[in-house]
Amino acid sequence: MAAADVAAPLVRRRPPARVRRRRLLLAIANHSLLIAAAIAFLAPFLFITLTALMTNDQALSAHLWPRPFAWHNFISVFTKAPLWRWTLNTLEYSVLATIGVVVSSVPVAYALARLRWRGRQTMFMVVLVALMLPPQVTVVPLYVMWAKFHPFGFNFIGTLWPVIIPNWLGDAFSIFLLRQFFLTIPEEYMDAARVDGCGELRILTTVVVRLAKPAIAAVALFSFLYTFNDFFLPLLYTGESAHHWVLSIGLSEFRSLHQVQWNLTMAATLLVMAPVIVLFFLAQRAFVEGVTLTGVKG
Amino acid sequence: MRRMRRAAVLAAVLAFAATAAALSASSSPAAAASRAAPTQLTVWVGWSARELGVFNKVAAEYDKAHPDVTVKVVGSINDQKIVAAIRAGTAPDVVSSFNSYNVGVYCGTGGWIDLAPYLKQSNISVSQFPAATQYYTQYGGKRCALPLLADTYGLYYNKALFKSAGIASAPKTIQELTADAKKLTVRNPDGSLKVVGLDPFIGFYENVPERWVTAFGGKWNDAQGNAILASQPGWTKWLTWMKSLIDWYGYNNLVRFQAGLGDEFSASNAFEAGKVAMNVDGEWRVAFIQAEHPTLAYGTAPMPTNDPSLYGSGYINGTIIGIPKNGKHTAQAWDLVKYLTTNDHALAELSNGLRNVPSTTASTHSKELTPDAHFATFLKVFANPKSSTSPITASGVSYTNAVQSFVTKWQAGSVKNLASSLKTLDSQLDAQVKQAKGGGVP
Amino acid sequence: MEVARETTSAAVGTGERRRARRRGAWRRRRLVLLLMSPWLVGFSVFFGYPLVMSAYLSFNHYDLLSPPRWVGLANYRYLFEVDPQIWMAVKNTLWLIAVLVPLQVLFAFGIALMLARARAGVGVFRTIFYLPALAPPVAATLGFVYILNPATGPINTILAHLGIQGPLWFQDPAWAKPSLVALGLWGIGNTMIIFLAAVLDVPRQLYESAEIDGAGPLQRLRWVTLPTISPVILFAVILGVIQGLQYFTQAYVAAGVAAGQASQAADVTSVSLGYPQDSTLFYPVLLYQHGFVDFQMGYASAMAMLLLAVSFAVTLVIVVNSRRWVHVGTVR
Repeated sequence: MAAADVAAPLVRRRPPARVRRRRLLLAIANHSLLIAAAIAFLAPFLFITLTALMTNDQALSAHLWPRPFAWHNFISVFTKAPLWRWTLNTLEYSVLATIGVVVSSVPVAYALARLRWRGRQTMFMVVLVALMLPPQVTVVPLYVMWAKFHPFGFNFIGTLWPVIIPNWLGDAFSIFLLRQFFLTIPEEYMDAARVDGCGELRILTTVVVRLAKPAIAAVALFSFLYTFNDFFLPLLYTGESAHHWVLSIGLSEFRSLHQVQWNLTMAATLLVMAPVIVLFFLAQRAFVEGVTLTGVKG
Repeated sequence: MRRMRRAAVLAAVLAFAATAAALSASSSPAAAASRAAPTQLTVWVGWSARELGVFNKVAAEYDKAHPDVTVKVVGSINDQKIVAAIRAGTAPDVVSSFNSYNVGVYCGTGGWIDLAPYLKQSNISVSQFPAATQYYTQYGGKRCALPLLADTYGLYYNKALFKSAGIASAPKTIQELTADAKKLTVRNPDGSLKVVGLDPFIGFYENVPERWVTAFGGKWNDAQGNAILASQPGWTKWLTWMKSLIDWYGYNNLVRFQAGLGDEFSASNAFEAGKVAMNVDGEWRVAFIQAEHPTLAYGTAPMPTNDPSLYGSGYINGTIIGIPKNGKHTAQAWDLVKYLTTNDHALAELSNGLRNVPSTTASTHSKELTPDAHFATFLKVFANPKSSTSPITASGVSYTNAVQSFVTKWQAGSVKNLASSLKTLDSQLDAQVKQAKGGGVP
Repeated sequence: MEVARETTSAAVGTGERRRARRRGAWRRRRLVLLLMSPWLVGFSVFFGYPLVMSAYLSFNHYDLLSPPRWVGLANYRYLFEVDPQIWMAVKNTLWLIAVLVPLQVLFAFGIALMLARARAGVGVFRTIFYLPALAPPVAATLGFVYILNPATGPINTILAHLGIQGPLWFQDPAWAKPSLVALGLWGIGNTMIIFLAAVLDVPRQLYESAEIDGAGPLQRLRWVTLPTISPVILFAVILGVIQGLQYFTQAYVAAGVAAGQASQAADVTSVSLGYPQDSTLFYPVLLYQHGFVDFQMGYASAMAMLLLAVSFAVTLVIVVNSRRWVHVGTVR
């Protein structure tokens, strides 16, 4: 309705007062609901922040407002737990996995979208099926495989490699997304490049990639977000080697290491949320575009 | 021709050099060993923080006395970590676990090696370990673990609260316990709980079925290893008593009260903070109180029992220690295990620092043990022949977990017919054991 | 002479062309293989092999400490006849899907509608609604468990000031799953943005022509908006169902922390899975417990096979049924 109203037909009569009043009331009601919902959505953040600024005893009691404000909590968190190590591990995992996803999914999506070959439709079905598969189905044999595989005496269990490596061999969701996007690129661009004498690979790396930048950015963002927050797979492979913990595991174990110091746990929670939120504000448009691409073009 | 002769000479020289190198290589290990770095033994233990420090001290003493090994201690280990490491082949040289629940799995699958040949070789007889500890360190004829300090449980009571409620001494029977608990409970004006006399809630702090059912004389298995919870009157008596007390508090009131309590191993422990007047806890709590609330006026006593003849007994379990399979330094690992489990000095030092019960009969009389009135209760419980321990089965900790799961449903009022539900539980436990052994469904 | 030359060159021409075409086809096949290689390897190693292996292991008894031992259908018989927790796990997962997915779609759509109508400050609102979706699931769960602590949490404290005795939230089997649902609704930012874009994308002409035909706002919603964005609704539903079938992290963390508040002895940790009283025991959580806590990997594989069958069945049902109410081919 808003869109309809904003549109400007050339001649517009002022709608009668009754209609205008009703529209105003509706707008106010709409806004009130939005504000109420916004408060509900912000409330948890508020409580988490308030708790992060309390002393331990206050956090354990029913007090709502910290008195005094314990700003030093944010520093104590680093001394009480190896937050830096966890952050490094998480970044190592996220960055490597994201690069891997992009590098391996783009060619596959291109082959599925723009090249014609026998079995293309079947392979796309396979991608869709892989997309819907719960990871718990494959987790047991994969764990066994990694546990028994010791090249040069290197132990994979206890490191993050079993979680990183699969991302370098294609990710079903990214392939799906990129393929949908590649389908929308007009053939003329590719033909023009072919006329110029480009080989198929050159076309992919120069023309297609440049045109698909928003989709690739979205895929990279989603991969980074997903791997940054991943809990189940790192828990499986590094659950018993604290040296390799990622932030999500460290956060869930924080409480038992230090006997449920909720104020520090909440402070750590905020710190873990912070980089992602900052990333969002910096790349807001890419985020929203990416999410839209997923759903609307999906 | 000349070239061939030169080649032959060259070959001979090379062969000679190779042999010389091989010979010298085989003779150098002896020399190398004396100059080689000491073997590093990695020991995994469950302790952390202050308690880990105590163990580190004992390990350091062993280190100094044995220059050919260096002992590296890793703390905060639990059973999951141990099994994961054995699975992945990254197990350390020596492993210890806080309890014996998974001995059935460790011995049954060979995850921890059988120590019987080593015991024989070192001329150590298992009779120096009390009977209960012998029971929970072996399964299926294999002794894959030895006890390293034991834990016993008893009743801690707050003397100050007792005085203000007018109670003279610690309760000895369940009836006295119930009466005292009700007297000591204080409620807020809105009906919520402020101080609880005794919290029998399973899942709260150290409350698990095995520690309570001993007070009612309930047994777990028969001689064939089948679960007998339904036929044991002790189980029914305990469950009925517990539920009646919880209902007196109000189930929801109790849950709400518990949600506001401090963590068990923190300085805000509910008993230490005076929020719970009586609590069933292990003997290590003495050391924690000493460290965190030295001015607390409290006493210790054996757990009240339903049957007066059982009074003085309690639940025993303990840290166990063993050697995982595929270890590289088994001989030296065994030496360390032997020292830790049988050396009176080591056991006394660990006991003093951790306030755990020393696990050989001889060491309980050691002169090095610091006498402590609170702690003495637990030594007596340990020596009591009627004290019992958890069942050791092939399904490991899932056995007692299944029972605990049932009891939490019972105490919430979700179980209607206790007798028939216990029968169902028995058959489920048996099926679980069968499945764990790989025999499928009975 | 000329004719001869022509025929020979023609003959040469077709032969060359055929060879060139074959070479071209070969080169194209090589290119496809090269481009698809990461996925071919990845799919065989991380998808095909584990599926086959999982099926094989489900007929074995395997605890990783000793070699697999064939037990035939024993695991499946235990699964369907004996395991006391399995039906609770299935029920919980189905409950979650039946409750959380429709609510998520409803909330996301509702908020998107409101945002589409609003004129002032849309950007700020959009950011506020999206922000929780960025919170890592573990962090969000921890936050919620703390906030909903029945004794000291802010929510119950505020309710107490208003004279209401708040429920026991994560400590009460009747409220634990609804608390998880609340947590899930807090993070619907992604779905909401998709709905917002879809709603804004509905062509104006459709609304205008409906208005001319005399349709009121509710009727416009029912007959214009909903059908046009139905593909997006389908997408959201399928995604929600897939996530519901894999639901692990929040349940694991919430149960562990809530149980820890009535603290356990540090060693007996697996009892907390599904706290309180198996109400948060979802199928993936039980699978994790059997496979990675109880060391029953053969049995866990049998559970995994069942999960696979159910995932297929559910997705198939949704996709087949969607043809009835999803309108494909919208004006764009």
